[in-house]
Amino acid sequence: MIRHIVRKEFTDLLRDGRFRWCAAIVGVLLLVSLGSGLVETRRAEAAHTAARETARDHWESQGEKNPHSAAHYGIYAFKPRLPLSFLDQGVDPYTGTSVWLEAHRQNDFLMRPAQDATAGQRLGALTAAQVLQYLVPLLIILLAFGALAGEREQGTLRQLLATGISRRDLALGKALGVAGALALLLIPAAIVGSAAITLGSPGPAATPFARGTVLAAGYLAYFAVFVALSLAVSAWVRSARTALVALLGVWVLNGLVAPRVAVDLSKWLHPTPSAVEFARTMEREVRSGVPGIERPDRGETTARLLAEHGVETVDDLPVNVIGVYLQESEEFANQIFDRNYGDLWNRFERQGVVHEALSVAAPLLAVRTLSMGLAGTDVEQHRHFATAAEQYRRDLMRRMNGDLAENSRTGETYIATEDTWAEVPPFQYDAPSLGWVLQNRTLSLGMLGLWLVGAFLVAGSLVRRAEVA
Amino acid sequence: MSTQAVLETPATGDAPPIPVRSAEFEDPVLEARSLVKRYGDLEAVAGLDLSIQPGEVYCLLGPNGAGKTTTIHLFLGFIEPDAGRVRVSGFDVARNALDARRRLAYVPEQVMLYRNLSGLENLQYFAALGGRETLSSERLTDILVDVGLPLPAVGRRVAEYSKGMRQKVGIAIAVAKDAEALLLDEPTSGLDPKASREFSELIETLRGRGVAVLMATHDLFRAKESGTRIGIMRHGRLVTELSTDEIGHADLERIYLDHMQE
Repeated sequence: MIRHIVRKEFTDLLRDGRFRWCAAIVGVLLLVSLGSGLVETRRAEAAHTAARETARDHWESQGEKNPHSAAHYGIYAFKPRLPLSFLDQGVDPYTGTSVWLEAHRQNDFLMRPAQDATAGQRLGALTAAQVLQYLVPLLIILLAFGALAGEREQGTLRQLLATGISRRDLALGKALGVAGALALLLIPAAIVGSAAITLGSPGPAATPFARGTVLAAGYLAYFAVFVALSLAVSAWVRSARTALVALLGVWVLNGLVAPRVAVDLSKWLHPTPSAVEFARTMEREVRSGVPGIERPDRGETTARLLAEHGVETVDDLPVNVIGVYLQESEEFANQIFDRNYGDLWNRFERQGVVHEALSVAAPLLAVRTLSMGLAGTDVEQHRHFATAAEQYRRDLMRRMNGDLAENSRTGETYIATEDTWAEVPPFQYDAPSLGWVLQNRTLSLGMLGLWLVGAFLVAGSLVRRAEVA
Repeated sequence: MSTQAVLETPATGDAPPIPVRSAEFEDPVLEARSLVKRYGDLEAVAGLDLSIQPGEVYCLLGPNGAGKTTTIHLFLGFIEPDAGRVRVSGFDVARNALDARRRLAYVPEQVMLYRNLSGLENLQYFAALGGRETLSSERLTDILVDVGLPLPAVGRRVAEYSKGMRQKVGIAIAVAKDAEALLLDEPTSGLDPKASREFSELIETLRGRGVAVLMATHDLFRAKESGTRIGIMRHGRLVTELSTDEIGHADLERIYLDHMQE
């Protein structure tokens, strides 16, 4: 029974010029955004690879010098593009994808396309995620708003029900008919996406297909929510026009109002300092220290070393006081960084929780967070990378200061050979596992599940009570 | 093939043919007992008692607002009665609406179809939903042609159909379902005289096969021609019942007008 409804709905839609035009536009936008995302990601990855090799080459060929000078010379770390990042750029354009690792400083990330973009470029940027999150639900609404209201208005609903089919079967058939029409768009997109993952760089995430599968399931759940909502509204209101207006209202609330409210509310609940304010605070605290984190004193360091080694003068010390002191200064600064960045990251995380919690009012917020998480472009994975890069910087500084401390004496001019730089292992970053991502996105998954179940229950109830004429 | 021939040809495919009932079948196929339906203060149906046996064609006459369409909608279970009971082939419509509808075919005053589908595709769809999915395209085409749809129109999209052509497809949908009971709400609306005449022949054939027919109509001539019994409704009540064997056309018109003037 249901298959006849599905087939009829599918045929009816395919013969509808409005559907053909809308589907063609959304389909082209989806494929173009996938293609341009893939090209951009591969271009950026190639640029990163080249820059990483150049940076490493510069590091290794910086010549003989004091290790502390080498520490100041520094090296760049590049955030690798995960295979699915071509689908969803997430926060990358705003947070940046490379960082300069040098002595005494935990630098901001660089390469933020959003910072360099003109206003026009910001408006014009279209990613596959945006098409999936905004345009596909709009297409679903256009396909399904008249599912029951239109049949009722045209008078076909009473003829349909007079055949003896149940409202449930009719609604299910219509939902599957819409799904079939959508599949015409989504299957080619999924093929292009899968090919992109297969052909693309495997990247540091070992599970691109697992991530892709969960991402596809998440988006399908999101689309199913819109199909169910469209059927519910179509069953509830009397005319197709009212159904369309109501559903467009839902779309505006979901796609335009809720994200804005989520940003403002999360900032209001968990305010973050401006970049200038944050930098000034760090500079002040690094200069003066804070209660409980005292700035090291070179004299005290010298006295402690003399006592530890049981010698009278620095000349008798087996280590270079400067190297030890520089490392103590690094560790002091690290505590200041941890204190300030830790607080900042925690605020970002709490803002993220507000976003996810607000998805109870708008499923977009849940699927967007999930999408960024699985694409590897959310705040949490940026933090994961930033933490790994900072850990590498600290290890590098410890190695440089250790080399200075252990291979020279205080007051001596020490020049390390180029072998020292080559011995420093290159920065290796392992992206978090799918399990780690899903654990972070439990709330979004739960909210999306809640929307899915809720939308179908509401649709079921309203379809059962739908008036015939 | 004539209408008679189409209806007498066994259905092809796996669907078992519905057994032909005899006119002496004891239980009514369509039955209303003390049926009441109110819309606010308006009593659209006021204590209606109706019983239609297999092979009977019951014509409901009455002015607009008499409660004819409401009665049909109550039989279809589209609306719930405020009091009383409706049964179709023994199924209480309030409790078993789907079982009841599976035994009914329905032709509304204005048959509405899917504009992007052809007449044949519309018939295939409605027939499949009505449980006649195994009927072949040839058989369905025969049905369409026999209810008066020109053969070249069968494969054309319904968007190009006239009201009368849509009405014929609606009648074909009812025929294809091979139901035990037929509910007709002004079925000849929009049909030309020839098609109306063919429709009367069709009803006669269905009656001969034991189908119970309830037809709401304004058309006194068609009621006398096709009906076995006639009920005149006014203000939701059945004011009189007549056997068509006992009256002539002129009598029917006089009786009807008398009741309308009361």
